[in-house]
Amino acid sequence: MIFSLELKKLKRTGYMPAFLGGAVLAAAVPLLHMLVRSETFIVLPGEPLNILYDANWQMMTMLNILTIILCACIIYHTEYSDNGAQKMAVLPVCDNHIFGGKFMITVLALSGMLLFEIIILELCALHWFSDYQVQLTDLTKNFCFSLIASLPTIILMLLIASACQNMWVSLGIGVILVFTVSVFPKENLFLSLCPFNSPYQTLALVTEKGKEYIFLVTCIAETILLGIAAHKLEHVRRYFS
Amino acid sequence: MNMIETNNLTKIYGNFTAVNGINLHIQKNRIYGFLGPNGAGKSTTMKLFLGLTQPTSGNFTIDNKTYPKERIQILKMIGCFIETPAFYGNLSGEENLEIIQKILGLPKQSVTDALELVGLTQFKKRLAKKYSLGMKQRLGLAGALLGHPPILILDEPTNGLDPVGIHEIRSLIRSLPKQFNCTVLVSSHLLSEVELMADDIGILNHGRLLFEGTMEQLKENAKANGLPTDNLEDTFLAMIDADNRKRGQVR
Amino acid sequence: MNFISLIGVELTKLRRSKIILILLTPVVIMWIPSILNAKINFNLQGIPITPEHNFFIQGFMGMAWFMIPASLLICTTLLVQTERNHKGFLKMLSLPLSSTKLCLAKFTILLLLATVQMVMSIGTYYLCCATVSQLQNYNFILEPLYVISNVLQIYAGAIPLAAVFWMIATLIQAPVFFVGTGLASLVPSILMINTKFWFLYPMSYPFYLLMTAYGKAAEGIYETEIAWLPWLPTAMLITITALAISCIRFGVSERR
Repeated sequence: MIFSLELKKLKRTGYMPAFLGGAVLAAAVPLLHMLVRSETFIVLPGEPLNILYDANWQMMTMLNILTIILCACIIYHTEYSDNGAQKMAVLPVCDNHIFGGKFMITVLALSGMLLFEIIILELCALHWFSDYQVQLTDLTKNFCFSLIASLPTIILMLLIASACQNMWVSLGIGVILVFTVSVFPKENLFLSLCPFNSPYQTLALVTEKGKEYIFLVTCIAETILLGIAAHKLEHVRRYFS
Repeated sequence: MNMIETNNLTKIYGNFTAVNGINLHIQKNRIYGFLGPNGAGKSTTMKLFLGLTQPTSGNFTIDNKTYPKERIQILKMIGCFIETPAFYGNLSGEENLEIIQKILGLPKQSVTDALELVGLTQFKKRLAKKYSLGMKQRLGLAGALLGHPPILILDEPTNGLDPVGIHEIRSLIRSLPKQFNCTVLVSSHLLSEVELMADDIGILNHGRLLFEGTMEQLKENAKANGLPTDNLEDTFLAMIDADNRKRGQVR
Repeated sequence: MNFISLIGVELTKLRRSKIILILLTPVVIMWIPSILNAKINFNLQGIPITPEHNFFIQGFMGMAWFMIPASLLICTTLLVQTERNHKGFLKMLSLPLSSTKLCLAKFTILLLLATVQMVMSIGTYYLCCATVSQLQNYNFILEPLYVISNVLQIYAGAIPLAAVFWMIATLIQAPVFFVGTGLASLVPSILMINTKFWFLYPMSYPFYLLMTAYGKAAEGIYETEIAWLPWLPTAMLITITALAISCIRFGVSERR
């Protein structure tokens, strides 16, 4: 029930258009890249899909993360702008369910976005690389990997957005985090596991180092830990308001 | 029987005491008028009942349930309307009520009833942020009345309404205990208004309870203290003034 | 009311907005990795550049690519939102003021804020230089004329960008979408400066100017001379068009 209610609250907030816009922009990156500079890429050695990932995934992920930030801000702005959250607080509903509902919606929206982007990447590979064949298992693996790698980012951003009543503060924190993290060295495993940094990794890169299981388990563990933090925050907030 | 009882309820913000050890007794199926000038602590007390803020000391029971142990049970019994109307601006009036209706697990019909009750039926499709002040106020009231809860907490429900609206809402509140068997706690800074609605009155000034009782008791009390009694507004003003002066001396 | 006193009024509106803090945060944050990774400046991987120039260029890389445009974006939002919140803008429009003048005054404030940030970024640079020089026992400090002229250039290059943001802000009413569009427009600027049409994309100007400075300091990295000819006229045209559109559209939706 709470899930459908949370969906209803998002009406006319521009949440879905924001995700759609983000997806279209991110998918446009490899398309434009190939349209303009395809001759540079087709001569490169290696798997076509890996070449495409290397060339585009950084920028696409940055757009994905910016979309997550924006949408987390929107989803909590409707709660705080006209005191909707206050009404929720006096209704017999558990705060954690509200957070959980918002998390589920964001995960679903991001899965749609990632799926769209990965399909576009596959299509690019099909069109520009002559002997490329789509493998559904690879597609599914890449999709699941990217989704799990994004979970800590989603939950941390929602946590920030729920903690700051002023949307601009959470947006500012999110943006600063994105760009602070973007100057981190990418080779360092420990740093690459941080929220806001993990989505930049690709399955091929992590598998090359043989760290795929550690990576996935850590991402899931981070998500659970941040989920517990969100649960605690609701309690703390009640005592400080 | 007392529906709401407080025991030395106190709320301190930093070095400002908003509510200072008050003992309220709100009886079942009656309208309790909560009276006091702006900043007297009325809204804070109401927020305490709803768990929107934590008491610094003291406690309260609502229908013999205690906070914070039985928060959800307490909230299930209360319909409330606090200060500024709280709603989702991006949703229509009807959609806002549907959210509350689903959370409370009420039938769909209750939304239509509540809209009808406050006279918003013809504006139900309009976005809540486009509502006028009076309409927002009515929407807030509809949200409080949804499903006829046994306890209603209304914070200055007639704020921002025109004279006709004030009259309508007042008669509506007046009819609630008989119609739906509910207990109403309504606050106001106008004695004339409380006089027309309430069975019992509590007068609050600077966080302290100056008086609690029926209208007749208030008159007797005033007479005994040498305050004017022919006009209740004057009684109230004199009472607040006397208290302020006394506090000034203490300081 | 003359333009100067109007600017004074606009500055008053920024009181208690914590804008200086908002401008300072990115400046400080961008320099922390530079201090921590100062050793990298000695490991130049064959690039013919001195460590002190490398420190300067790498430090300002994040600023030019992202932080300067992002700060402009945030300042624009703040300026627009202080008006729209609580209907302050309606009050302004009901006063005997030309809305064009008001629009330009606000844009001037935006540039003024960028100048403040520029001064702060130069100050932070020298503070970091002093720290790193102490830590690494090597003099990282460059002569002020070189630093100031380069930073000034980067910020001057951001003026067309500021005008474009200002235009988008007057066109897009929902602030979230304005910020979203703005942020998304910054991501591809690295891609853009490597194409032939970089001069059509104002978001990449500051980064382009820094890259030419890089090219001058290290041969073979990038172009060594700024391509003034297609760039300057295009940039001016973009600035003037953007400002004209924003002046025309300023306050139109509020007066409907």
